Amino acid sequence: MKKKIVSTLLAAAMVLSLAACGGGSSDGGSSGGGSSSSDPNTIRLVNGKIEVDAQLKKLAEMYKEETGVTVEIESMGGGVDIQGTIKGYYQAGNMPDIFVNALEPEFANWKGLLADMSDEKWASDTDGAYINEDGTVGFPYSTEGIGLAYNTEILKKAGIDPTKLTGPAAIEEAFKTLDSKKGELGIDAVVGYCAEPKDLYWSTGQHLFANYLDAGLARDDTTYIDKLNDGGKLDEKRLTDFAKFVDMLNRYSDPALLVSGTYDQQILNFASGKYAFVTQGSWVGATMTTDDKDAYEAAGSFEVGMIPYAFEDGIDTILTNSPSWWSVYSEGNVDAAKAFLQWLSEDKAQKVLVEEAGFISPFKSCTYIAPDPFAKAMVDYISNEKTSSWHWLNMKEGYAMNYTGQVFADFAAGNLDVDGFVKTMQQVSEACYAN
Amino acid sequence: MRMKKSNKIIFTILGIIVAAYTLFPFYLVVLNTFKNANGIVSNPIGFGGVSFSQLMTNISSVVNNSNFNFWYAFGTSVIITILSLVLLALFGGMAAWVICRNKTKWSTVIYMVFIASMIIPFQVVMLPLISTFRDVGQFVGISMLQSIPGIVFAYCGFGGAMTVFILTGFIKGIPYELEEAAAIDGCSPEGTFFRIIFPLLTPVITTVTILNGMWIWNDYLLPSLMLGQNGKVKTLPVAVQAFVGSYVKQWDLILTAALLAIIPMIVIFLIAQKQIMNGMVEGAIK
Amino acid sequence: MAENSKNTKLLSVVLLVAGIAGLVIALYLDFTRSSAAFRGPLLVIGAIAALMGLYFYPTVEHHRSIINFIFLFPLLFAFAVTVIIPLILGIFYSFTDWNGIRLTSFVGFGNYVSMFKDPAFIWSILLTFLFVVFNMVLINIVGFLLALLCTSKMRGVNFFRASYFLPNLIGGIVLGYIWQFVFNNVLIQVTAKWGMVNSVLANTKTAFAAIIVVYVWQYAGYIMLIYVTGLTTVPKDVLEASSIDGADALTTLFRIKIPMIAATITICTFLTLTSAFKQFDVNMALTNGSGSVADFMGSYLTNGTQMIALNIYNTAITKNAYALGQAKAVFFFIVLACVSILQVRISNKKEVEM
Repeated sequence: MKKKIVSTLLAAAMVLSLAACGGGSSDGGSSGGGSSSSDPNTIRLVNGKIEVDAQLKKLAEMYKEETGVTVEIESMGGGVDIQGTIKGYYQAGNMPDIFVNALEPEFANWKGLLADMSDEKWASDTDGAYINEDGTVGFPYSTEGIGLAYNTEILKKAGIDPTKLTGPAAIEEAFKTLDSKKGELGIDAVVGYCAEPKDLYWSTGQHLFANYLDAGLARDDTTYIDKLNDGGKLDEKRLTDFAKFVDMLNRYSDPALLVSGTYDQQILNFASGKYAFVTQGSWVGATMTTDDKDAYEAAGSFEVGMIPYAFEDGIDTILTNSPSWWSVYSEGNVDAAKAFLQWLSEDKAQKVLVEEAGFISPFKSCTYIAPDPFAKAMVDYISNEKTSSWHWLNMKEGYAMNYTGQVFADFAAGNLDVDGFVKTMQQVSEACYAN
Repeated sequence: MRMKKSNKIIFTILGIIVAAYTLFPFYLVVLNTFKNANGIVSNPIGFGGVSFSQLMTNISSVVNNSNFNFWYAFGTSVIITILSLVLLALFGGMAAWVICRNKTKWSTVIYMVFIASMIIPFQVVMLPLISTFRDVGQFVGISMLQSIPGIVFAYCGFGGAMTVFILTGFIKGIPYELEEAAAIDGCSPEGTFFRIIFPLLTPVITTVTILNGMWIWNDYLLPSLMLGQNGKVKTLPVAVQAFVGSYVKQWDLILTAALLAIIPMIVIFLIAQKQIMNGMVEGAIK
Repeated sequence: MAENSKNTKLLSVVLLVAGIAGLVIALYLDFTRSSAAFRGPLLVIGAIAALMGLYFYPTVEHHRSIINFIFLFPLLFAFAVTVIIPLILGIFYSFTDWNGIRLTSFVGFGNYVSMFKDPAFIWSILLTFLFVVFNMVLINIVGFLLALLCTSKMRGVNFFRASYFLPNLIGGIVLGYIWQFVFNNVLIQVTAKWGMVNSVLANTKTAFAAIIVVYVWQYAGYIMLIYVTGLTTVPKDVLEASSIDGADALTTLFRIKIPMIAATITICTFLTLTSAFKQFDVNMALTNGSGSVADFMGSYLTNGTQMIALNIYNTAITKNAYALGQAKAVFFFIVLACVSILQVRISNKKEVEM
C-alpha cells in the first residue's frame, strides 16, 4: 500500500510539472468576435508614451465632463511589446478603439482594419497625418524634427546670423569663422557629429541620410525614396552635394566624438555649450532637460535653434514628422473615437498636450509653445510651412544598420573621400537591395 | 616535482599578473558602479568620484528603470532556469534509464539520434523553431512564444541530448543486480527508478545541472527569439541587451546592470566552486 | 487485493476514457478553428489523464513497457518538437522562398546560389575560419600554459584557478558590453597618448583582434581546467623516473607530459574549434559586425567583423530574408557536421593506437 502511495505521489508530481509546463499558458486564447466595448459612451485608447499617462488621464476627465463620454487610457511603455500586445487583444476580441502605430510595417499589420479619417476637421490642419492606401489612418499627436541644431548664444557671440545660413557656402563660411574663434567662444569643436557605426548608425544612416531623401522637397514628394526602393538607386548629383556637406561635418566635428563617440557624450557636450552645432534632431531637447539638466543649466540654459541641412542652395526646410500616430480601429467605436481625436486637436486639449505633456503640436492652428528648448524653432518652421516629411522609415530593413552606417563611419575616419563616399554608397546600396 | 624557490616566486608572480588581467574587467565594473556618469567617462580607471551613496543611486536607478525592469527580468530568469533544470534532470534521468536498461532496437535508435543531434548548431533550427512554435501555439491555443512554459519546453528539448548522453554514461556503470534485487523484493520498475537509481544519480545530476544551468542562465539567442527582443516576458540577458542596445549609452547604468547580472553567477560560483569546475570538465571529457 | 485491483482498473479506465475524450474534443476544437480559451489546457490535461490512465492500468506483463513509454515520452516529445521537426522543416525551407510565415514557391538551389554570390557572406565564412584558427591555437596555448602554471606547486593555486575560470561564468552579452566599455572608454585613454583618438573597435582589423582577445580571455580558463585534469592523470612515478634520469623541465614537458595528454589535446582542440565556429554573443555585443573592407571580390563590404552565426541572424532577422538565412544555416550545419565527423574519426583512431 505504501508503495502505491509513493507512486501516486510521484505521478502527481509529474502531472504537476507537466501542468506547469503546459497549463496556465493560454494567455493568447480568445473568445471570438473582433469588436471591443459595445457601449457607445466608452472608448479605450492604448497609448505608447507612458511618460504622459497622467496628462492623458487628465484630458480624459476633461472630455468626460464636457461630453459624458468615458475615455479609458491604457498606457504602455518601458519595453513592452506594444504591437504584440495589441495583436493579442485582436485575437482575444478585446481591441481598443484607438491605439498607437509607428513604423510602416506596423500600419501594414492592420491593413483594412484602420478607419479613414481624411474627412475629419483636424486632417486639414496638419501636415503630419499618416496616410496610406487605406486613407488617413494616423492621428499625429506630436512632432519631431530633423535639422542642424545650434546653440543660439554661441552663434550670436561669433556674429553669425542663422537665418543667413541658407546654402553650403554660407554654412562653410560660418563653420570657418567659428573654428577660428574656438578659444574665444570656449567651444571644443564647431559641430558635434558622430558617425560611430554600431550604436549610432541610426543617426547617420537614417536621420542624416533622411536629408538626402527629403530635405527641401514638398511633403508629398517621394522622388528619392522611390528611386532608392527601386533597386537601391541613388541620385549622383544630389548625393555628391550631400557628401560634400557631410565631408564638412567630418572636418569640423570634434575628433574625439567623430568615429567612436556615443549619443550621451554628443548631447552632454552640446548641452554644456562645447559645440556650436549638433547633428541630432529635436528629441535632444528632452535629453538636455532631463539627463543632462545639470550641465545644461550650468551652461546657462541657452536658447537653441535649427537650420535646414542646406547641402544644396535652395534647401530651406527641416524634416518633421510625428514619432508615432494614433489610429482608430475600424470595427470599434469609430464615431466616438474620431470625435475624441478631433477634440484633442482643438484648443483646450492642445493646451494640455503642449504645455503639460511637452508635445510640439503638429497642428497649424495651435498657438501654444511647449517648454521644450526646440519647440519655438520647430513651431516657426511648421507655421511657415517650411517642412518636409521624412521617408527613411520606408527604406529596406537593415539598410542603415548593416550597410550605410558603416560607410558614414569610413568617410568620417578618412578612409573615403567625397567621390569614394558617393561611389561606395551607390555600390553598398545596390548590394543591400540585391539581397 | 621539486622546484627551486626562485622558480616558485617567478611562477607566483606570473600567476598574479595573469589573474590581474583576467580580473581587471571585473574590477573596472565594480569600481565604476561607484561613480556617476561624468566620473566614469572622465576617469574610468582612478578612484576619483567614488562614493558609496553613488553606488546606491546607480543601483536604485537601474532597479527602478521602467525600461529595464530589473527584478522582473531577474525573476523570470530564475524561474526559467530552475524549472528547466528540474525538468531536465527528472525527464533526462527517466529517459536515460529507459534507454540504458531497455536493450531494444528502439532505444538504440533513440540514443543514436540524441547523440547525433548534439552536432546540430542552434542557427539551423532557430528560424523554423519559432514558426513551428507560433503555428502549433495558435493551433492548439497554448501560447508557446512569449511565455515561460514555452521557453522551458524548448530548453527541455535542446538540453535533452546532452543530459541523456551524460546520464546514460553514468547509469551504465550502476550494477544491474541492484535493480534485479529490487524487482525480486516486489518493487515496481518506477519505484526502482525513483527510490534506487535516481538517488544514485546525484553526482552526475549535479554535473548536468551545472552545465545546463550555465548555458540557460547566460543564453541570449533563444530567449531573444522566443520572447522577443523587448517583449513582455524577458530574461536577464535579453533585458540587458534591450537596455544597453537602445539608443542611449549611459555607462553608469549599464555597468551597474552588468554587475547586478553577474553577481548571482559569482555568488553561486563561490559557494560551489569545486563542483562547478569539476562539472565543466566532466561535461567536456565525456 | 482483488478489490484493490478492481478499483485501480476502474480508475485507469476512467482516466483513459476521460483523457482521450479531452484530447479528441480539444483537437476537434483546433481543427474547427474554434477560439475557445480552454482548448489548450484541455489538450494538456487530456494528455496527462491519458498517461495516468495508462500508468494505473493493472497489467503485469505490459507494465514495464508502459513505464518505458511514460518515462521516455516527455523528453522525447520536447526534443522532437524543438529539434527534429525544425531541423527537417529548416532544410525544406532552405529550398523555398519562405518569409518566416509562409512560402509561395520552391526555388530549388536558388538560395544556395545567391548566398555564394554574395561577397559579404563569403567574407563572413573566411573571417570565421580565420577566427577559428586563431582561437584554436591561442586558447589551447594559453590554456595549456595556465594549466602548467596551476599544476606547478605554487602558493594559492586554487585562487588562481578560480580567477582564470571566472570569465567563463559570464554570458557573452554582458561580457561584450563590459569589454566595449574597456575598449571604448578605458583603453582609448591610453592609446590617445600615442596619438590614436579612435577606439580599437573603430578599425576593422583591430576590432577583429579585440574579439579574439575577449574570446581568449573568456575561454582559456575553461580549457585550462581540462588540461589541469589531463596533467594530473600523468602518473607521478613516470615523472619521478624522468627527473631521476636527469631530464630537465622542458624535456619532461615535451617528451612525457604532452604525449601523455594527447587525448586531452584532441578534446580541447575540437571544443575550441566548434565553440569558435558558433561564436555569436560577443560578436554581437562588441561590434555587431561593423567594420569595412575596401575591396573584396570587387565590392565594398560593410560587415567587416561579422562572423557566420551573426551573418545568419542578421540575414534572417534584421533583413527579413528568412529563406536565405536558413540556407546559410544549413550550410553552416554541414560544415559543423563535417568537423564533428572528423573529430570522431580522429579520436577513434587515437584510441586504437593507444
